[in-house]
Amino acid sequence: MTVLSALQTPRAVKIRRGLTLPVLLLIFWEVSSRTGLVDARFLPSLEDVFLTAKRELVDNNLFGELTASLLRNIAGFVIGSAIGIVFATLLALSRAADALVTPTFNGFKQISLLAWIPLISIWFGFGEQAKIVFVAIAAFIPVVLNTYEGMRNVPRDLIEVGHALKFTNVQRVTRIFLPAAMPSIATGVHLGLIYSWLATVGAEYFLAVGPGVGGLIIAGRERFDMALVMVGVIILGLVGFLLNRLAAAGEAYLLRWRVTAH
Amino acid sequence: MSSFTDTVIGAAGAKGIDNTAGWKRLRNRRVVRRAVIGLILPVMLVFTWWLASSRGWLPEQILPSPAYVYATAVEMIASGEIFYHAGMSLRRVVYGFMFGAIAGLSLGVAMGLSRTVDDYVRPIFLAFAQIPTLGWIPLLMLIFGIGETLKIIVIAKGALVPMTMNTAAGIRSVPANYVEVGRALRFSRLQTLRLIVLPGAAPSIFTGVRYGLTHSWTALVGVELLASSEGLGYLLVWGRQMFWLDVVIVAMIVIGIVGFLMDKGLDVAETYFQRWKRSEGEA
Amino acid sequence: MTFSTITRRAALALFTVSLLAAPALAAEPLTIHVGYAAIGVDNRPYAEGTSAATARAGEYLEKEFANDPDVKIEWFFFKGAGPAVNEGFSNDQLDFAYQGDLPALIGRANGLKTKYLLASGARKPLYLAVAKDADIKSVADLKGKKVAYQRGTNGHLSAIKILEANGLTEKDIQVINLDSAGTVAALTSQDIDAAFGDTQLINLAAKGNAKIIYTTKGQDPRYGRNAGIIAREDFIEKHPEITQRVVDAFVKAAQWSSDEPNRAALFELWHKSGTPIPILEDYFSNDTLAYRNSPLIDNLLVSQYEEQGVKAKEFGLIRREVSTDGWFEPKYLKASLEKLGLQNFWQAYGADGKPAGS
Repeated sequence: MTVLSALQTPRAVKIRRGLTLPVLLLIFWEVSSRTGLVDARFLPSLEDVFLTAKRELVDNNLFGELTASLLRNIAGFVIGSAIGIVFATLLALSRAADALVTPTFNGFKQISLLAWIPLISIWFGFGEQAKIVFVAIAAFIPVVLNTYEGMRNVPRDLIEVGHALKFTNVQRVTRIFLPAAMPSIATGVHLGLIYSWLATVGAEYFLAVGPGVGGLIIAGRERFDMALVMVGVIILGLVGFLLNRLAAAGEAYLLRWRVTAH
Repeated sequence: MSSFTDTVIGAAGAKGIDNTAGWKRLRNRRVVRRAVIGLILPVMLVFTWWLASSRGWLPEQILPSPAYVYATAVEMIASGEIFYHAGMSLRRVVYGFMFGAIAGLSLGVAMGLSRTVDDYVRPIFLAFAQIPTLGWIPLLMLIFGIGETLKIIVIAKGALVPMTMNTAAGIRSVPANYVEVGRALRFSRLQTLRLIVLPGAAPSIFTGVRYGLTHSWTALVGVELLASSEGLGYLLVWGRQMFWLDVVIVAMIVIGIVGFLMDKGLDVAETYFQRWKRSEGEA
Repeated sequence: MTFSTITRRAALALFTVSLLAAPALAAEPLTIHVGYAAIGVDNRPYAEGTSAATARAGEYLEKEFANDPDVKIEWFFFKGAGPAVNEGFSNDQLDFAYQGDLPALIGRANGLKTKYLLASGARKPLYLAVAKDADIKSVADLKGKKVAYQRGTNGHLSAIKILEANGLTEKDIQVINLDSAGTVAALTSQDIDAAFGDTQLINLAAKGNAKIIYTTKGQDPRYGRNAGIIAREDFIEKHPEITQRVVDAFVKAAQWSSDEPNRAALFELWHKSGTPIPILEDYFSNDTLAYRNSPLIDNLLVSQYEEQGVKAKEFGLIRREVSTDGWFEPKYLKASLEKLGLQNFWQAYGADGKPAGS
């Protein structure tokens, strides 16, 4: 296969096309910031952004900020989704709990996530726990919604099999409902992971000042340091991307039995 | 947006006529029972809240008494203050969502129809989509300042991503033989798009609208928390800084109600739209 | 159980736990949480312009308890300023705090159980700066303009009083709620027309990015703002001796900050907040250190707080009457002054703004 024909394979074409816009954008960026076409305050040169990233990494403990953000993200996410799965299982399996609680939950769910910030800040103050509680709420809601949905849609014959085998309640949950609802739960957890990252940024913006990537971006804005803001935004994107990939991989792993079943 | 509200109102009317009286009564009784049971917990919560604050178990700075919150709500309704702020927020969402939805729809259609466009745009679009909307706000603030433009752009961005992705996916999923039929009927490209592709992609586009609106609403609260002098998000900041928890709670309730109404409106619009599609198909 | 009950219960549980945990014995390790209703440049954990800032940068509290390994001092600085301090007090996360008049009165109006122990930074002036291309020459020109200040802080109340004196109300201007760092960014980029503030604005003007057109400095003290060290009642009741020693440390810091020979060293110390020394010199020009850093709860201070309470109610910033009766607790300050022989070190002022007893 010659080099030329290798460039013509569908995959190569796809990659070439996919790279076109980003490369053009980078060239346009570099040219306009070099020639002064755009005010450097709004569009710092690529070099500037790179140097800022290096400075933050080497001198200013960017890793520390990122670790702080990730730790509170993970803590909140784990707490929120664990409580969410248990809560949704209760609602889905107990008729009484469902009738009593679900309408109230649906009401609270309507309150936009960020609207909780003032109350959380007043209830939990300025410590780490306020931020973690906020992130946990962000993960909690999609996990509950999807877990509930998954449990509700467990096929009737599966449930009857459980009856026939005289499963205890615990067995019914662990052997029938949880596995059958797993695809839905995985979707909920995946969404929870995305929302919890959004909430981590929100918590760092609106709750007390502390280490974290969100705080870094706000500080960059206050100092009119566009390069720093861009570094922060790029990190947010990268982490978002990695979390997404991680969730997708986790989902695929958990649901591998489905693939083989087909 | 006016056509959107028309759809909502029209749909509600159409639904009412359709139901036969007997079935309706039966259904109503069940609905009433469920509503009553569903109300037990909220009533208990409010009662506990009232008891806790009147007995002083719950310090006022943690949660003000329900009577106080109620009085504040009445006062804010009477003075029209709450409508002013809700109106400002709604206006921003309407404009921002409209821009974002139109841009997302166009981009999604282009990506759905043409592999080439999709190949070029998707990677960079996905890269930008990875960054949470909140992350964009400080960057956009540096470029556009803290005025109305910033708010509209942030809200539009919230709607753009789900609209684009769902439109493109919806169009992709329209079966190829439908398009063949169009070709057999010698439809023009525009006719194919209007009569076959878009209706086929409608359910997916609707999902995009739903997520888009939710994201817009979240983005609105975020941008109003960061920089504004009016709107529901501003009420939250204001209440927080002045330590007026009653105002904070009223603002949260209004945000919840607006969110609920938007959700219900979409439900109604969606059923109406599906029904219209079906009857159109039968004709 | 819904989400709200979970959080509410958690809040309550936290509250109870902290109540139970509070009656610690002297031998038990104790961390004193001290809040400061401001934050340094680029979020440095330091401040400037008050005796409390001196106590922080000069480690007066840490030195006071240097021989008590069981007592730790933890400082917290708040970008959210006074309103954020109230959130800390309502969660029992703070024991002492430097806080301005309006937020302290708001906290009191909402039932926060605090005491006012001594003055600190009680005579800080407020400045009005305008964007460098703005055509605003006087306070009256602010009508219809975008003006930034941080809502719920003592600068907020002071700003409204200045507006009122010039025939304006908050409704005549477009208020943009920004913290100190946000104000600097917005004024530099000319997103706003004007802003109320202090050292950050002097600094901006010195760099040519804004113009200062008005200051309360040298004006009628009633336009100014007050601040002081506030403490949580529970803490005082449980640890009166510790409270006394904390007050001692603050008084020592106030004394050092009031000694004219220390002027240069003082600004050097406050420079830890990131504010350049020439800016601090400007901020204190024509004022004696002793005037600005007096810890005394004199008639002027008490009447000022009462007046602020009345004004705050009048302007709709607090919606219930707030009384300062029983809030001032000068006992610890008095004991410190006696112990340190400083009874006559500072000049007390009468409610009329004139030196008392003259």
